[in-house]
Amino acid sequence: MNELFVNLMIFVPLIGAIGCLLPKNNPALSKMIAMVTAIVVLLINVALAVAFYSQAGGHGYLPSGGDTVVQFITDKVWIGSVNIHYLVGVDGLSMPLLLLTSILNVLIIAAGWNVEKHTKAFMALYLVLMFGMYGVFLALDFFLFYVFFEVSLLPMYFLIGIWGGPRKEYAAIKFFIYTLVGSICLLMVMLGFYFLVPDVATGAAVVDGKTSFNMIALASDTGLQHAFSHGGEYWNYAKWFFVLLFISFAIKVPAVPFHTWLPDAHVEAPTPISMILAGVLLKMGGYALMRISYPIFPDAAKWAWFGVAMVGVVSIVYGAFCAMAQTDWKKLVAYSSVSHMGYVILGLAVLTEAGRNGAYFQMIGHGISSAMMFFLVGVVYERAHHRDLNRFGGLWNTMPSYTGLAAVGFFAGLGLPLLCGFPGEILSLMGTFGSISWIEAAPEWVPFAGSGAGVTVITLGIFAASGVILTAGYILWMFQRVYLGPAKPEYTYSGRDMVNTREYFVMAVLALFAILLGVWPAVVLDMIANTFNAIYAPFTSLTTTASAALGF
Amino acid sequence: MTPANLLVLATLLPIVGFAIVVLFSSRIGSPKFWPWFTVAMVGGSLVCSAIAYVTFMSGDGTPQVEAWNWLQMGTDAAGVPRYLQVGPYVDKMTVLLFAMVTIISTLVHIYSIGYMEGDPRKNRFMAYMQLFTFSMLGIVLGNSLLQLFVFWELVGISSYLLIGFWYEKRGPQLACKKAFVMNRIGDMGFLVGMGIIFVKFGGDLILRAAPAESGGIFTQLMAMHHIDPLHAGANEWWLTIAGIGLFMGAMGKSAQFPLQTWLPDAMEGPTPVSSIVHSATMVAAGVYLTARIFPLLTPAAHLFVATIGLITLVMAALIACVQTDIKRVLAYSTLSQLGYMVLGLGVGSYTFAMFHLVTHAFFKCCLFQCSGSVIVASHHEQEMTKYGGLIKKMPITAACFAICTLAIAGASIPFLTIGGEAIALSGYYSKDGIIAATVNYGDALAVAGMNWGAVFYWGPTIIAYVTAFYMTRAFVLTFLGKPRDKHLYDHAHEVNWTMWAPQVVLAAFAIFIGWSFFNVGANIHATAPATAQPFEESQMEHGYHFVHTALLHGFGWIASIALGFVIYVNGFTISSRIAAIPGIAQIHWWLYNKMGFDGLYDIIVVNIVKTISSLLGAFDRLVVDGIVNGVAWIGKELGFLVGGFDYRYVDGTVRGSGRAAVRLGGILHRTQAGNIRTYVLILFVAVFTGLAIATPFALGWVWFGLPAH
Repeated sequence: MNELFVNLMIFVPLIGAIGCLLPKNNPALSKMIAMVTAIVVLLINVALAVAFYSQAGGHGYLPSGGDTVVQFITDKVWIGSVNIHYLVGVDGLSMPLLLLTSILNVLIIAAGWNVEKHTKAFMALYLVLMFGMYGVFLALDFFLFYVFFEVSLLPMYFLIGIWGGPRKEYAAIKFFIYTLVGSICLLMVMLGFYFLVPDVATGAAVVDGKTSFNMIALASDTGLQHAFSHGGEYWNYAKWFFVLLFISFAIKVPAVPFHTWLPDAHVEAPTPISMILAGVLLKMGGYALMRISYPIFPDAAKWAWFGVAMVGVVSIVYGAFCAMAQTDWKKLVAYSSVSHMGYVILGLAVLTEAGRNGAYFQMIGHGISSAMMFFLVGVVYERAHHRDLNRFGGLWNTMPSYTGLAAVGFFAGLGLPLLCGFPGEILSLMGTFGSISWIEAAPEWVPFAGSGAGVTVITLGIFAASGVILTAGYILWMFQRVYLGPAKPEYTYSGRDMVNTREYFVMAVLALFAILLGVWPAVVLDMIANTFNAIYAPFTSLTTTASAALGF
Repeated sequence: MTPANLLVLATLLPIVGFAIVVLFSSRIGSPKFWPWFTVAMVGGSLVCSAIAYVTFMSGDGTPQVEAWNWLQMGTDAAGVPRYLQVGPYVDKMTVLLFAMVTIISTLVHIYSIGYMEGDPRKNRFMAYMQLFTFSMLGIVLGNSLLQLFVFWELVGISSYLLIGFWYEKRGPQLACKKAFVMNRIGDMGFLVGMGIIFVKFGGDLILRAAPAESGGIFTQLMAMHHIDPLHAGANEWWLTIAGIGLFMGAMGKSAQFPLQTWLPDAMEGPTPVSSIVHSATMVAAGVYLTARIFPLLTPAAHLFVATIGLITLVMAALIACVQTDIKRVLAYSTLSQLGYMVLGLGVGSYTFAMFHLVTHAFFKCCLFQCSGSVIVASHHEQEMTKYGGLIKKMPITAACFAICTLAIAGASIPFLTIGGEAIALSGYYSKDGIIAATVNYGDALAVAGMNWGAVFYWGPTIIAYVTAFYMTRAFVLTFLGKPRDKHLYDHAHEVNWTMWAPQVVLAAFAIFIGWSFFNVGANIHATAPATAQPFEESQMEHGYHFVHTALLHGFGWIASIALGFVIYVNGFTISSRIAAIPGIAQIHWWLYNKMGFDGLYDIIVVNIVKTISSLLGAFDRLVVDGIVNGVAWIGKELGFLVGGFDYRYVDGTVRGSGRAAVRLGGILHRTQAGNIRTYVLILFVAVFTGLAIATPFALGWVWFGLPAH
């Protein structure tokens, strides 16, 4: 039953997409079909989550159930000749992101309710996008993951390219090609696996003498892991594969310097598409790093920690500076995404539990806050028809209730405690400092191993922490320019132009989640705890031995 | 209910009030109802705190700690989850500060009802006050650095909302942003300090009740890691950085040099905001944090803290002497008094610093309320140049202001003691204690060969005289002499009871809260870490002896007050002549312009940051994105080249090259319109970009060497 649910989550959106196309000259019906589809998937997802977390052992982790925490697996041979399977299932790593996606889907279809141009096609393409997103989060076969990764691109390309702003073609092509470059890196790694794995794998990573693309098996195969570890025969490959995968996923995240597609895509995309782009599509990059790069290449991850952490810190600071320079409101929010996603990269890079938890939480928290920020911008843009920060002012007086909700959204983006932006940031930062202990005790091939670790990590931490000042700077400056000041008549709305119930609904739900996640972060962290324990076992032993050596 | 539970309840009541007011006040209830509703909520907090105070003080004083899991950091080797925890930590200082914060907050709530009379957004203001109270109580309640930080930020955002309450005007807009950003600069240090504590103490950010030594927070951790902050070996660089980092947070919140400029600007908010920000909340938070991390501070960090405090207290007092805006004088006086507290903590006088925090909260809150009443009475005129003689119109306010002026001046009756104790207002007990402690600290430095250590007691001593002077100046200019603005004077009137009643209560507190009968100092000292200087006069003999015979004589305040009275009783006639003397005029100008810090920060620093951001923004657009576009352009051109080649020569042999060339032109035009050929081009671009990526990859492969197998 639950296995069926997993498959339904992937294919119901596809059925819904076809359903959307059927009614002729009835956009309202298409919208209803899309909405019903999203709600159905949300319900399935909730049922799945309940089933997953109510299992024996709690949180879905079955200590006696073998070597995997993944549940509700469907495994069918897809392309037998190269051992590619249709392999899907859920674990704690995918579940919170799935829930985030499902919740956002409903809200985003509501946000897109007023799309008038080719409504039918918009909804159908959006549902195809859903198909791709669920596929990415549920696929456990590397090739299948790759396919879904690509599938999610195409509808996005059209959604930006057809419904976007003045420079939509440019933005759409840029988005598409840039991400495609990342995909090529992914493809190379996959080819590498295909040719290299059978020689060394001793366990599940090889089936009938051919590489299995099962990602869980790749991470747990002792022979393969030995070959990929430091000094192993594939150590050089491991480093290259790690770097290639990182580039591929860093483009998606996006991390500086691979980020320039994002501001263009966001500025041109219509509001609902910006919301899903920032809310979920960016998280595919972080998710893929957590699912693929770090479990399969633990030693390469240690080798690369400093470089990856630098990318994270630079993203945080650089993104914040760039955000401050913008006069286009949406571009500011887009750069804030670059800055916020830097905490994800940083948290992952430092290989501590707090950092990983922070990185994951940041993805969920940012999913809520960024979607909300883009919607808040969209609400005003639809009425004012411009996004020039220097022309706004006094919205607090002309739209008081909306501004109250906007305060929640933007303060969540600012990383205010008790809102969803804070736990991820603080855990990620604490995790960064926490990495001192293992790096001090690490072997010499790890960068800055030994006594230099303290100074290096603290310096990194200081730069990362300086992000909080810049974030406050650009958010509050924006807030001042848009919401504060005397009321301006041109932004006074009445009658049909007033913020309507549908918009309040979207904002209120997002605000509620922002507060819920901020006050009670355990709701996410508990979901991932056991899965993280299982798939990051190599790093857990790393930190605990280091702690023991230091007497903690 | 245990005191801990009561205090949790006291903390939650205001946030419930906030939520209710925000959600419902615009829909139901009369305009009179909601403000009093918020008073009831905070009054409830006061009752809870009072009960907790009585219960806890009558007990044996063992701290009560509860730790609730909040942020999971993962699991340890044994599979046990590890958490960053929050929850209440209750010792004598906690209950004392709860009582103080709730009393002042309640009084300020009542005062606000009068002050905000007629403001259309009155309910919203009251709601923010609730949020503010909640945040401050959360800090005091916190059992961990993490919780402190959480509420720390909430204090920041509620002050942002309150200072910017009249956001239509330019001043409040800038002031609220400045307050928050300046605080965040300190918070960065807080984060760094917290991170170092996190790693060095094994992820434990909890304040601990060490059984052996009540209230010695962190003492247990210190013991666990064999670090004794008093020991010379404790000058571990990371511990010093952590201490200074955490103290940076305090510098932001308590507006210490060089992050002081937001506090005077914060007066752009309504006066009730100033009265609560400058007394029981926000600025108190920084001093409170420094006290809580006291055992962590290494000798080097202590010296840093003391120096910052000294600079702040001297600088602010001098600036206060020349300001003419009544609230600005009070704001700088707050800065100066905070400097005293921070200096006190730096020199190791944990007890007197916190004692001064409590006494100062009452008289400074009262002073601000009095100034607010004067401002209301004189139709929002804040310049003392327009005041004068208001004592006849506002006797209650004038009396309260006078009492608090004496309190802040540290007034006592010379040579008179009852039961071995001086008869004085509250400020005397706490401030003299701090100065006595600085004497001990300065001597200790001198013994260690640092003769300049004497600056640590000459500074605060001289400024003690200056404090009495500038406060007298404010009082005399406002309430005594002849009215300088006839119109203003004629319309002035005593304020209504919701405003003067809180002042009277606060003035009463300002008189007696320092008396040993109330045990404030002793109760604080019960929580002092072992490394703090002693509290009892007999134990601090050297310092006290020096202060009371050589420096202040117990009546040092009299001379300054007399001087202030003489100079200013006729308005600015004498002072303007003094200020015209060459040399003094320049100093006067420099002090009047706040020593140029605003100019430095607002013009230089802000512009540097803005320049960096626009440079990086341009760099991003032109260079980073330029590379991307350049690569894409090359790919596209190659695509056209190949496509054109294919079209022109391969295909062209079939159809004739002339027609093909015309067609190509058409393609070039149509690609811009999203023609299907665009999508074909993508393929080319992708392939070539892929090649661009693959080439270095292949080169690197050669460089790394192919693995032998």
